[in-house]
Amino acid sequence: MSAVLVVHGGAWAIPDKLAKASVDGVKGAACEGFSVLKEGGSALDAVEAAVRSMEDNAVFNAGHGAALNTDGEVELDAIIMDGRTLDCGAVSSVQNIANPVSLARAVMEKTCHVMLMGRGANLFAESIGVATVPTDSMVTEYERKEWEKQKNYITGVMEDFNSQWAHDTVGAVAVDCAGNVACATSTGGIRNKMVGRVGDSPVIGSGGYADNCSGAVSCTGHGESILKVTLARLILSYIEQGKSAADASQLSLEYMGSRVQGAGGAIVVTPPGQWAATFTTERMAWAAVENDILWYGLDPNERVKEQLSRQ
Amino acid sequence: MLPVVVVHGGAGHIPKERSKNSMSGVCSATRAGYAVLKGGGSSMDAVVEAVTQLENNPSFNAGCGSVLTVKGDVEMDAIVMDGKTLGSGAVSAVRNIANPVQLARLVMDKTSHACLTAEGASQFARSMGVPEVPQESLITEYARMRWKKNLAPGANPVECQMGKMGTVGAVAVDSEGNVACATSTGGILNKMEGRVGDTPCIGCGGYADNQTGAVSTTGHGEAIMKVTLARLILFHMEQGQSVEAASDLGLAYMKSRVEGLGGVVTVDPQGNWAARFSSLQMAWAAAQKDTLHYGLYCGEHFTQSIEDPN
Repeated sequence: MSAVLVVHGGAWAIPDKLAKASVDGVKGAACEGFSVLKEGGSALDAVEAAVRSMEDNAVFNAGHGAALNTDGEVELDAIIMDGRTLDCGAVSSVQNIANPVSLARAVMEKTCHVMLMGRGANLFAESIGVATVPTDSMVTEYERKEWEKQKNYITGVMEDFNSQWAHDTVGAVAVDCAGNVACATSTGGIRNKMVGRVGDSPVIGSGGYADNCSGAVSCTGHGESILKVTLARLILSYIEQGKSAADASQLSLEYMGSRVQGAGGAIVVTPPGQWAATFTTERMAWAAVENDILWYGLDPNERVKEQLSRQ
Repeated sequence: MLPVVVVHGGAGHIPKERSKNSMSGVCSATRAGYAVLKGGGSSMDAVVEAVTQLENNPSFNAGCGSVLTVKGDVEMDAIVMDGKTLGSGAVSAVRNIANPVQLARLVMDKTSHACLTAEGASQFARSMGVPEVPQESLITEYARMRWKKNLAPGANPVECQMGKMGTVGAVAVDSEGNVACATSTGGILNKMEGRVGDTPCIGCGGYADNQTGAVSTTGHGEAIMKVTLARLILFHMEQGQSVEAASDLGLAYMKSRVEGLGGVVTVDPQGNWAARFSSLQMAWAAAQKDTLHYGLYCGEHFTQSIEDPN
């Protein structure tokens, strides 16, 4: 049984000045997640490790480096799902937590609920000894500047070009040696979003879904559009009907574009080890590891191959 | 065949002394939703009207009559979805609002977002001129009694709750063939603060698509989420299953894969509808061609003229 891990660092018109850091970031995260699989770790452990790596990396809009809401605060969303049991954990609008994906996993493993939000999620974090991090340490100069800039944009104009918005949500999917699949997604949400805005990332079936019967998906892109078509679940429904991971992703993203004029990207993995990284935005930073080979890309149809050094 | 509205008031085990109120409540809400449709209103107007009535009715776990969190507060979730545009609005863990379903609709109509939570939802409500109501006005003696009872160690709130205090919801198709859904709830008895269930999660608590149909769900929220029940039922319909078969397949899968029980109301754009449940009971009612349909126990299907009083 072949273990595979795929990560994405956001589907949007990634500017050249962020391109190298984004690609380096996803490559690093993919290697970190894959090393968990190589040591016999579970798909769940692997996706958590990969996403944590990107939450800790300030170039991505998740954990450190998250976008600010209209009040200038950080509100984070994350989801993690276990394809074997369909167990799921999610947090939305949680503040000042360095690794929301791990908090989401704690919701899954330590409570009888699937999703906790806001103050309730923060109280839960406190109760299990997860530290609160000061806002300043999570906010980058870049985000603060972007927030100030965007406060002056006319909202209507921005609406028309949702693929131009920064959508650097991060995510990972994996299948482990036992054939179990898992997904995880984490984000700071849309820059200058309304206070309490919940996007697709923490919503099961939209930001992510994992089921051993079909596969695991993590999505990125225009959140409201992803929600309208329940993108992750839609992709898996095509796989259930016999489509390949790549075709299922392409069909679903095209549907999202035509039905609700939304652009985005998705990474998919299936239990037999098929995988795909697909996007309808200008760029998506992604990386995948399979059989000690690292694949990655940024621009459409770009697929670079690197041999991982053997330990 | 058109228009149609179908309403549910919760799936589970409704004690006899509460079933009369549940049944009259869903019938009344159905009549109200149907009147909107007959008057030329849209399916969205109809489902919001039906659910608003159930939120105002203290016999249901939505709006007034909501279950309490473990701390004794009221936190509510709601969703609406428009099958024509796939537009959707939801609120989660919102406090001090009499009609979360109406606030969810405002999120859809007046913002570029799909879901607002907690304090953000309250801020938005204020900006829309939606009045804040004291929490006490939403809490019933019954809700308080169930809360106290379930604080005792060894209590099983999930089991205790099933059906006695039901999430409410409605689906409709109007004369133009547009479908819509709406769902509203106070959530699970004695839930953790900030717990969000299936109701405001698109594809779980509800989904509507003019190409296929609309669904509103009720039952064990976490189980509904794990199988994205509303979306699952519509996938079956996309594959050619009838409203009834699709609903049954979805519910059976939820029971076998994640051991969860629940109920759904489902409608397709042609006006076929179903009210199905895997729990012991679900209070439901539907209106079509001036006939009121309703039931509570599995297999029950009563009809009367819509004009006849309750």
